Amino acid sequence: MAVNWLPPVSLTASGRPVFVPGEVERCLLPAVDLEPGENPSLSPLLSGLLVLTSHRLLWIDETSSSGFALPFAAVVHAYPPKKSIRSMFASPRIRIQVSASPDGRVVAGGTRSEMITVVLRGKNDPDVFYGRLLEVLRSRQWEVSVEAEKRDLESVSAGTSTTTAAARVRMPVVGVSGILRKEQELWESTDKSLQEAFQDLNALMSKAKEMVQLAEKMRLKLLSGPSAQGNPNEEEMGSKQDMQDWLLSVGIASPVTKESAGALYHQQLARELADFVKLPLEKAGGMIALIDVYCLYNRARGTALISPEDLLQACTLWEKFDVSVMLRKFDSGVMVIQNKAQRDEEVFARIVSLAQKPEALRTGISPSDAALTLGIAPALAKEQLLTAESIGLVCRDVSPDGFRFYINLFREIDTNDIYLIKKPGPFHAWLSAISLSG
Amino acid sequence: MRRRPGIAGLQSAAASREQYRQVGENVARIRTDLMKEQLTTFRSQLEEFARKHKNDIRKNPVFRSQFHEMCSKVGVDPLASNKGFWAELLGIGDFYYELGVQIVDICLSTRSHNGGLINLQELCDLLCQRRKGARESVSEDDCLRAISKLKVLGSGFEVISVGKKKLVRSVPTELNKDHNEILEVAQAHGYVTIEELEKRLSWSSGRAIDALETLLKEGLAMIDDGHKDGKRRYWFPCVASIFSASGFDGFKP
Repeated sequence: MAVNWLPPVSLTASGRPVFVPGEVERCLLPAVDLEPGENPSLSPLLSGLLVLTSHRLLWIDETSSSGFALPFAAVVHAYPPKKSIRSMFASPRIRIQVSASPDGRVVAGGTRSEMITVVLRGKNDPDVFYGRLLEVLRSRQWEVSVEAEKRDLESVSAGTSTTTAAARVRMPVVGVSGILRKEQELWESTDKSLQEAFQDLNALMSKAKEMVQLAEKMRLKLLSGPSAQGNPNEEEMGSKQDMQDWLLSVGIASPVTKESAGALYHQQLARELADFVKLPLEKAGGMIALIDVYCLYNRARGTALISPEDLLQACTLWEKFDVSVMLRKFDSGVMVIQNKAQRDEEVFARIVSLAQKPEALRTGISPSDAALTLGIAPALAKEQLLTAESIGLVCRDVSPDGFRFYINLFREIDTNDIYLIKKPGPFHAWLSAISLSG
Repeated sequence: MRRRPGIAGLQSAAASREQYRQVGENVARIRTDLMKEQLTTFRSQLEEFARKHKNDIRKNPVFRSQFHEMCSKVGVDPLASNKGFWAELLGIGDFYYELGVQIVDICLSTRSHNGGLINLQELCDLLCQRRKGARESVSEDDCLRAISKLKVLGSGFEVISVGKKKLVRSVPTELNKDHNEILEVAQAHGYVTIEELEKRLSWSSGRAIDALETLLKEGLAMIDDGHKDGKRRYWFPCVASIFSASGFDGFKP
């Protein structure tokens, strides 16, 4: 095993990298190799997810859930992708010069200089990535984070004072006619701009129509499934991924087929959600309604909120990744997120034991009793009881008080000898319980 | 590429196969390049539009609803995902998703009163009260769009029409035709009696009692036995107009 020439990056339980404070994600590229320079003892990192942030360049291997980080503090220079005849046929390469310690590890302020090559094997645009990389390097976010905070505070206080000054200046208006004139002007300008807006809207929509027609062709191609050649070419997978991303950005619903894993955005969102939802799940007793998660997550996010469909897509992707939560749909249509660890059998066992207590044998259990025992919300407890009923563990009793559930004794009755009471057994326990009440 | 003997020949044959494969790849790549080109043109057009009219979409509900109608005619959904161009450039995604969160909140806080069914007008009024600080005004159309997006999350968020009014349902209870008709009758005074139902809809008393009991159980109806004539009245907070008029201060955040 060669020496690890990049410092490792810690990942959360769902495979998302842990960011330092102030670090912002800029760009995500799948299928990227990192090759170290001329030193033969350093092994290259193949086919991982490259994450460009404001502070580092992260390389994550999704299969083994490990990752390495290239801090920008160590980067000396980044060379643009070469544009030659040869490079048209090969995957684009971006070379970065970094400083390294004598044994080959990449550190900031090291004595030696190494050349690292970033090979973009997927269908990624190298120029866009290079542009973003240069931007990030130029902004030197990792150095200015502390000073920026101080400067921000100063600028905010300065900003507020200027706005109040401007407001004070505008206050003296010339009488009622002045107000009326201003209203008239405002009205006219909005009218004009609205007409223009409608014209522009029409032009935009005609272009959008073209895109939709193109999208239909793409969608058919996606639905037709893998090609008949049977070649497990990554090209095919890569282009399907691209098409998904493309359809998503234009706003057309795309099918998440079994082979493809949906847009990259949803994959990352799925991982983020799995991390986020752990704490609320514990508080809610292991089961939480999807709509509650939508509100909680968007509130926590503040800006750049996700749509309900984003949430649904991300949750359906969980079955492809190895995360500890799952999406579950009840018969009534209610969708919940629950811990994979909380097996249904365990929940049903608890319901059955609750239903066999002496008071429960007499009066049955209501959804609120079950909610107290299981520690989940009453609406979800009712769903669980209904599911238990559908597999035959409990029976319902509809009364003016509402629903109550009793342990299912019909299974204990032997059809050949219906008066036989097996002791010990639930039937016997039930008889002794009701006889006590007189 | 003439055939050469020996190892050199094999190598050159391999090299030429490789070149053919790459040419084939390039043809495929050109098609995707065309796609990308279309995408970039569209995106730049959208950027231009956004630059000029972003404010109009934010401020003007009429323009906003027009925009949505045209999008649905063309077949794109600007609210489908936060990652799409529409949300990124026009910024209308956040507006609707935030609205969705607020609607869920309001429905939850009024559920104990109306059982999960709320008048659309009342919902809009409560929303406006809540959003007094925000700059953008909210129209009924905006509420409807936000709710239609919430539908995919299960939990039964839906808009149903009862007579002239629209009601927003936030619980998974199914309402059948009988229940709908009762709600329609209730719109007149806010309550119904069993005799009224039997007379107006020519139902048997058993049918009326059955339907009313179900609505009662689900929490959508309330019983009032305090009248002089002794007849039991069933009130429906969702269609009664008592809450919508005066400032109902119970639900201020």
